[in-house]
Amino acid sequence: MVERAFQISPEELPEKEVWFAMGYKDSVPEERIRGMVRELICELVPKATLRYIYQVVEAEKLSPRQVRMAGKTFTPEGIICSYLQGMTHALLFIGSAGWEFDRAKEALKAKDDIVADFIADSIGSVLAEMTVARIEQDYVGKETISMPYSPGYCNWDIREQHILFSLFPERPCGIILSESSLMTPEKSVSGFFALGETLQRQPYHCQICKNTKCFKRRNA
Amino acid sequence: MDNLYQAIFKGLAPLAKTAVQESLDNGKTPQDIIDESMIPAMEAIGQEFEAGRVFVPNLLLSARAMKSALDILKPLMIAGQTTTLGTVVIGTVKGDLHDIGKNLVASMLEGRGFKVINLGTDVSKERFIEAAKENNADIICLSALLTTTMDYMKEVVEAVRADGLDIKVMVGGAPLNAEFAASIGADGYSSNANEAVQVAKKLLS
Repeated sequence: MVERAFQISPEELPEKEVWFAMGYKDSVPEERIRGMVRELICELVPKATLRYIYQVVEAEKLSPRQVRMAGKTFTPEGIICSYLQGMTHALLFIGSAGWEFDRAKEALKAKDDIVADFIADSIGSVLAEMTVARIEQDYVGKETISMPYSPGYCNWDIREQHILFSLFPERPCGIILSESSLMTPEKSVSGFFALGETLQRQPYHCQICKNTKCFKRRNA
Repeated sequence: MDNLYQAIFKGLAPLAKTAVQESLDNGKTPQDIIDESMIPAMEAIGQEFEAGRVFVPNLLLSARAMKSALDILKPLMIAGQTTTLGTVVIGTVKGDLHDIGKNLVASMLEGRGFKVINLGTDVSKERFIEAAKENNADIICLSALLTTTMDYMKEVVEAVRADGLDIKVMVGGAPLNAEFAASIGADGYSSNANEAVQVAKKLLS
């Protein structure tokens, strides 16, 4: 089990990713909004301590819908399972933008500024995703590593997050998982990377997925 | 178009405050200011959003400017002498703490002439019904971002019907669609904040 905490400087947070999270896709926001984004990055990012925890476990694909990881059966469904041919291990992870960021975001909310709330929410999403990127950089193995897959995406029932959390210490990274599978701090992520010497790393799932009606589609 | 309209359309809160004061100084009533400048500006930015020419932050900037102008007008409004399109009780359903989308819908509804009671997040069916009764609401708006919590919307709809309330129920949130809304007996569904206003207006027409 590997557990780390780290901080980043405002300059390390890619503004374009924040714009994307705000719904701009390939467009560039007007200067006024870019300025607000920069200002909030400078205000919030230094307060954030990002955290992640991961472990590598034995894993196998059981069927076109199911996998076994660390002795537990998961049902990530057909879209994800179709990318797991050759998986022998899995890197299970949980990451978070952290309570410090959550508290800073809440303090901002007290100012009753809906624009700042929205931008801060988008910054938090990018910070949480940065923990996943950091885990991938962190992991040194000879196997091919897949894209990350998370409960709640690609038809994988979000409730299976409870099975995933059961494989980690209580409150991993300080995260509380509710009965409805809501993680608090809200800006947290969980999931797995498939590992395998013969595994083929696929492009980002939305780029190859045919489910155009998916509400989480990133390139729609 | 007057200065207030421009300030709200462009999302310039300080200018909106100045402009609303100018309109009052010129003898306009709060209701005239709202009807002639503020609501048309919000409608115009909503249309720009629907056409894909502006983005969510532009809607939010306009809503923020609208709110700053309304804050000046509200103390001047005499109860019973101002009109609203209707009263909406809005909240994120029990088990869910996401509120960005719900707050955007609340702002857009308020900006377009509805009275909005925002109950926040993690709201039970009992609280929705209680607030609807207290405020003589016309519409209850339910929001959810999790597939695990969207099913609670059905419980709210059923509780509203069981209580015999003559209130429309609207639903929205990323994992929902029109089919789901129909399947739980909701009266309306919208996929974005601007559309929510149109749906609300239609439900009360």
